[in-house]
Amino acid sequence: STTKDIDEEVRIKRARRPTAKLDDTRLLSSNGIPRLRKISKTRLKFRGKGHEFTDIANLLSMYQLWLDDLFPKAKFRDALGMVEAVGHKKRLQVMRKAWIDETKPFRNNE
Amino acid sequence: MDVWEQSQTVDPEVRAYIYSLVNAVGGQSTLEDRYSIGDDALAVLNDLRRWLQLYDEKTNRFDVKRCLAEANLVKGDLLEILALWSEEQQENKLKAKLAFACLQLLVPLTWPIELNEEKTTRNHLRHAPYLRLAQVGYKRAILQYEDAKILRTAIRIGLPSMAQERRERTARDEGTIRFILYFLRNIAIITQPQELPSQGDENEISRSSTIDAFHEQDAFSLLLTVASGAADDFVEQDVVVLQTLFNLLKGVDPKKLFLEESQLAKQETSELQNLIQKEKAMLSSYKKHAPTRHNRFGTMLWVKRGDDKVSTVSGQDTITNDSTTLIHMDKSKKWDRPRQRGRRVDDDLKEHEGIGRTVDLTDRARRHLRTFVEDFLDSGFNPMFVSLRKAIEREAERVGETIKRQYFYLISWFLAAEGARRDCSKARRTSAQGMAGDNTYAYIAAVLDQETFVLINRNMQTALDEKAWRDLQSILRCFTQILLTVQSMADSEDEEDQEIAENIQNRIFYEESTQDRLVSILRGYKSQGLAYLDAVTDCVHVFVRMLEKYSKQNVDLQIRSKRRARRKKKKAQQEQQPQTGGEGEENDNDNEDNEDEVDEEADAMYTLTERKFDFTRFSGKFLSQPCIDTFISFLHFYADLSADQLKRCHRYFYRLAFKNEMAVLLFRVDVLALLHKMIKGPGALSAEAEGYKEWETLVQQVFRRCIKWVERKQDGGDGSWREIAVVEMLFSKASGTVYYLQNGFDRVVEKR
Repeated sequence: STTKDIDEEVRIKRARRPTAKLDDTRLLSSNGIPRLRKISKTRLKFRGKGHEFTDIANLLSMYQLWLDDLFPKAKFRDALGMVEAVGHKKRLQVMRKAWIDETKPFRNNE
Repeated sequence: MDVWEQSQTVDPEVRAYIYSLVNAVGGQSTLEDRYSIGDDALAVLNDLRRWLQLYDEKTNRFDVKRCLAEANLVKGDLLEILALWSEEQQENKLKAKLAFACLQLLVPLTWPIELNEEKTTRNHLRHAPYLRLAQVGYKRAILQYEDAKILRTAIRIGLPSMAQERRERTARDEGTIRFILYFLRNIAIITQPQELPSQGDENEISRSSTIDAFHEQDAFSLLLTVASGAADDFVEQDVVVLQTLFNLLKGVDPKKLFLEESQLAKQETSELQNLIQKEKAMLSSYKKHAPTRHNRFGTMLWVKRGDDKVSTVSGQDTITNDSTTLIHMDKSKKWDRPRQRGRRVDDDLKEHEGIGRTVDLTDRARRHLRTFVEDFLDSGFNPMFVSLRKAIEREAERVGETIKRQYFYLISWFLAAEGARRDCSKARRTSAQGMAGDNTYAYIAAVLDQETFVLINRNMQTALDEKAWRDLQSILRCFTQILLTVQSMADSEDEEDQEIAENIQNRIFYEESTQDRLVSILRGYKSQGLAYLDAVTDCVHVFVRMLEKYSKQNVDLQIRSKRRARRKKKKAQQEQQPQTGGEGEENDNDNEDNEDEVDEEADAMYTLTERKFDFTRFSGKFLSQPCIDTFISFLHFYADLSADQLKRCHRYFYRLAFKNEMAVLLFRVDVLALLHKMIKGPGALSAEAEGYKEWETLVQQVFRRCIKWVERKQDGGDGSWREIAVVEMLFSKASGTVYYLQNGFDRVVEKR
C-alpha cells in the first residue's frame, strides 16, 4: 500500500493556466481605460464637416488598436461586446458616475 | 446505410402474416388486363386495419406500417380498388364498402410521422426515414394516378354522409366525413423531407401539383363546403380544414397571388434585375479589395502603432489603405468569444420552417389557388374563423398545440390576401372608371371583433410569459395585419368604414397594457432569430405609426392604465425631495423592475385610472436602450434585409436621433462600427439599392453629431469632456446620466 501512496504523490495534477479574461480589473488597469483617456487627447484629430466618415473611421481605429493592446486575442466586435458587458458591473458603474461628475461644474448648494 | 434496404428487425412472423394478407387483397389478373379483387378482400382489408391498430398502436411500433410500405400495398392494391369504383357504380354497395375500407387504411398510412421527445422509441427512429419516403411515394401515386381520380373517389365515399343534416348523422357518418378530411389534410402535409435522399421527382408532389390536383378533383369544393358550413353543419371539422389550408398556403405570397399575369411577369423581371444588380455590387466590392497580383507575391507590412510597437500584416491590399490593414489584423484572430448557449431556439423551428420559406407556384396553380382563395373569402372565412375562435376560447379537445399558431398565421395570411384583392380590384375600377365596389371589409369582419382582440391579447401575454417565441411570432404577425387592415379601412372613402375603423382603433389603443406589452416584447429580444426579429420590429413599427396618426387626429384620446396605489405615494414623497429629479422618466422603468422583484404584494394593489394620452411619453418608452439594442440586432442582418425592412429601421433610428433628440444612445462604438460598415464596407449596402441615399444621410448626420458631441467644450469641472465621451462610448448609457450626457447639464427641476 505504501507504493500506491508514493505513486499518488508523484502524480501532481498541474492546474490549468487560467484563461485571460477581459474583466473589470483588466479594464481598469493602466493599459485599460486610463490609457484610453490618455490617448484620446493625442490621437483623436477630427477634420470636421464633410469628413464624417473618415473621422469616425479614425475614431474606430483608435478603439481597435487600444483593444488590441488591452486584450489581443479577441476580435474587435467581440471585445467591444465584452467591454460593454463589464460596464454593467457595480464597480464600473460607480467609476463611470464619478468620472462624469468630475466634468460637472462646481456648484454651491445655494 | 441504404434507406431502401428491407428491414431486418421486423419479427419474421409478423412480416409473413402481413405479406400473406396483402397477397390476399387481390392482384393483377392474368386473364384480362386489369386488377381483380380477391374473394375476401373486404375481410382482409379490415384485418390489415386491425393489424395496424392492435400491433402498431398498442405496442407503439411502426413495424406493420413498414411491412405494408415494403409490400407496396397502397399503389399495388388500394388505389387499384378505389379506381374500380367508378362514377357509374355509385350504387354498388360492395364496391362502396371496399372503397371505404381502403380509405380507412390510407388515412393511417399517410398520417404525418411526428417524432417528439417523450414518445419516440428506437423502433420509431429506425423506421421513420423509410416511412417518410414511402409517404412521398404514396402522395405521388395518389396525385398522379392515371386511370382514375383518387381524391375525387375518396370524396365520393363521404358525400351521402355529408348530405345529411348534422342532427340526423350517425357516429359512422361523422367518422366517414372525418376520414375524408384527414385524408386530404395528410396529402397536403406530405412533402419531400429535406434531410433524406430524393428520388428526383419532387415536381410531381410539389405544392403546385397538389393545388392542381385539389382543383381538378374537387377537393377545393369540398373544403369550401365544409368551411362555409362551419357554423351549423360542420362544427367539429373546422380544425382539420384549418390544418389543410395552412399546409396549402404557408409560404405562398398573398400579394403575388392577386397580380395580373403581366404585372407578375413585370415584377419577376424587376426582381431578377435587382438580384443581378446585387450580385454585381457584391463582386465589385470584392474586386476593390482583391489582390492585383498572384497569391504568392508575398507583401509584408509593418504597422507602427505608437509606443515604439509594430504589428505585421501580409497581403498587398494592406499597403495603401489603413482601414483594410486593420480589418486584416482583425480577421487573422482565431479566438471567438464564447457565448452562452441556452436551449437551442431552432428546435421548435422544424414545424414552422415552411413559413419563412417562400413557395413559388406555376401559373396554372396560381390561377386555381386564386379562385379558391377568392371563393373562400366570400363564403367560408367568417363562419370558419368564428367557429375556430370559439373552439380555442373554450379549449375544445380538437384544438391541439400547434393549432393556435396556425390559426393566427392563417388570419394574417387571409387579411393580406384580402388587402391584395382589394388593391387589385381598386386598380381595375379606376382603370375602367366604374362604380365603387361593395363593402369588402364585411368578408373579414369575423376577425375584427372585440372577441378576437381579447383572444389575441390574452394569447400574446401567455406566449410572452411562457417564452413560446414561435407562437408569439405568429400572433405578432396577425396583430400587425389587423392593424394594417384597420388602417386601410380608415383610409377608405366609405364613411361607414371610417367610423368602424375609428371604433376599432379606439378599442385597440384604449388599453395601456397593450402598449406596455409591446414595449416589453421589444425589450425582451434575446437571440430568437431573424424571423422573430422581423415580426417584432414590424409590429412595433406599424403600431407606433398608427398610434401617432390616431392621437394627432383625436387629441383628447383617453387611455386606461393600471397604476400601483403604492407608487403614487412614493411619487408624492419624491416630489418633496426634488434633488433626485435629475434622473428622468427613463429611470422609472428600472425602478419599476426592481420594485417587482422586491415585493410582489404591492402588485396586487392596482387602480384603474383614465388619463389623457401623451404620444411623446409613449414613444419614449420605445426608445430605451434595450429596445434600441433589438433594432440594432435586426440591423446587423442588413445584407439580408429587404428594402421595406431597412426602411423600418431607418424610420426608427431617425425618430430616435432627430425627432426625440436621443442620438446619444447611438454613440456606442459597436453601433458606430456597424453603421460605418453599412455604408463604407467591406460588405456595404449597394449604392444602387433602394434607400441607400437615406441611409447614407442618416449615418452621416449621426456621425456628425457624434463628433460634435465628443468635441464639445464643457466649462467648469476638473475632468475633460472628451475623456468622458470616449469612455462612455464603450458602454450603454446608464439611465441616470443620459440627460446630462446628451445636453451637458442636468435637468432643471422646478421647485415648488
